[in-house]
Amino acid sequence: MAVLVLALAASGPAAAADGAAVPWWIWPIALFVASFIIGIVAVLAGVGGGVLFVPIVGSFFPFHLDFVRGVGLLFALSGTLAAGPMLLRTGMANLRLVMPLALAGSIASLAGAVVGLSVATDLLQIALGVTVIAIAFMLWAMKVADFGLVESDALGELLRLRGEFEDPAAGMRIDWRTRRTAAGLAAFAAIGFFGGVFGLGAGFANVPALNLLMAAPMKVAVGSSGLIISIINSSAAWVYIHRGALLPMLAVPSILGVMLGSRIGARLLRVTPAAVVRRLVIAVMLLAGARALLRGLGIWT
Amino acid sequence: MDVKPHDEHIQRLYARWLNAATKTGFAASLCAFLLYVSGALPPYVPLERLPELWGLPVGRFLEQTGAPTGWSWVAMMDHGDYLSLAAVALFGLITPVCYTRIVAPLWRHGERLQAALAIAQIAVLAAAVSGLFAGG
Repeated sequence: MAVLVLALAASGPAAAADGAAVPWWIWPIALFVASFIIGIVAVLAGVGGGVLFVPIVGSFFPFHLDFVRGVGLLFALSGTLAAGPMLLRTGMANLRLVMPLALAGSIASLAGAVVGLSVATDLLQIALGVTVIAIAFMLWAMKVADFGLVESDALGELLRLRGEFEDPAAGMRIDWRTRRTAAGLAAFAAIGFFGGVFGLGAGFANVPALNLLMAAPMKVAVGSSGLIISIINSSAAWVYIHRGALLPMLAVPSILGVMLGSRIGARLLRVTPAAVVRRLVIAVMLLAGARALLRGLGIWT
Repeated sequence: MDVKPHDEHIQRLYARWLNAATKTGFAASLCAFLLYVSGALPPYVPLERLPELWGLPVGRFLEQTGAPTGWSWVAMMDHGDYLSLAAVALFGLITPVCYTRIVAPLWRHGERLQAALAIAQIAVLAAAVSGLFAGG
């Protein structure tokens, strides 16, 4: 990833200034390679990848941000869709847990998309950046992110938010339940709303909401976050399609790259130790938070 | 742990449909894109014009190309770029299809609350697909 970014940094800005200087077919190939690598990292971090894709492609490729954001959303959607079957089969994603949270998130994301057009985006970007960085530091400071078997609340009991999965990295079968269901639904509505405003899947916020707030094991939080993004972004994707903001020349190589990369990421998730996944989540959150903050302050637009 | 056997069955059913649908979307996107870039299906916006257009905001891009918005692109699938867009749009239909598939099994197993959640989710997605929230 670093090599690719450095290579693009060397040639990208100049080419971006004069889009015709480089043969057109170079860019779809570069997009495919970048998307493949981001796809692997995104699944391991439990994010859709839009928070990595949009700043990287927006900075080093010659495309307007309108199209990059549209592709970023499709990118997150297709990557999480591709990883979904593996995550569901291994129990890393839990449909029973995902359904109520995704419904709250997708209703709020449509509202967010409508409201986002009339709100001072800079202020919201700053607020988002500060919040995400604060959550990342909170996660970092915590010694243990897995809560063990907690007591379900009444709503969680009604929805039967519980499950079990085999963790090959830990070499054991883990039973889990969640808590604070009403607060979790409210958190996903808020995340969905923010995601709708910014055109992101907001997976960097899903994972702490599932893990810290609802006490889902980290791997279940990461896997379920991916599936939630695939559901929420399904509705948001149509907003971009209807507005003519999707260029197939950008969208298809990105989608093909991320789908291949995220399948590899989903396989790696099973055998990657939870501590590594947690560190990756923190790194992605710091990156996304810093990006939002700098964008809001007008330093890195 | 009180995890009912049908939970795993429904989860695996969803996973199977998701797997088949994403593979179909992948294959459709790849085929349509090859037809597009090879010139076998001529594009609406010529390939050689793209580098001067993809740096423009979407509004100016639409002005300069006369490209369609809303559902108008469906009538232009004889062009390589819009056939590719149709293939990409398939990804936006995968979740509602998978949800629709699990409604009946959920109901049959007495999971009325889960079935209601699935139906509500399908309604939200259908509203988005219709263009209700996009002004399209």
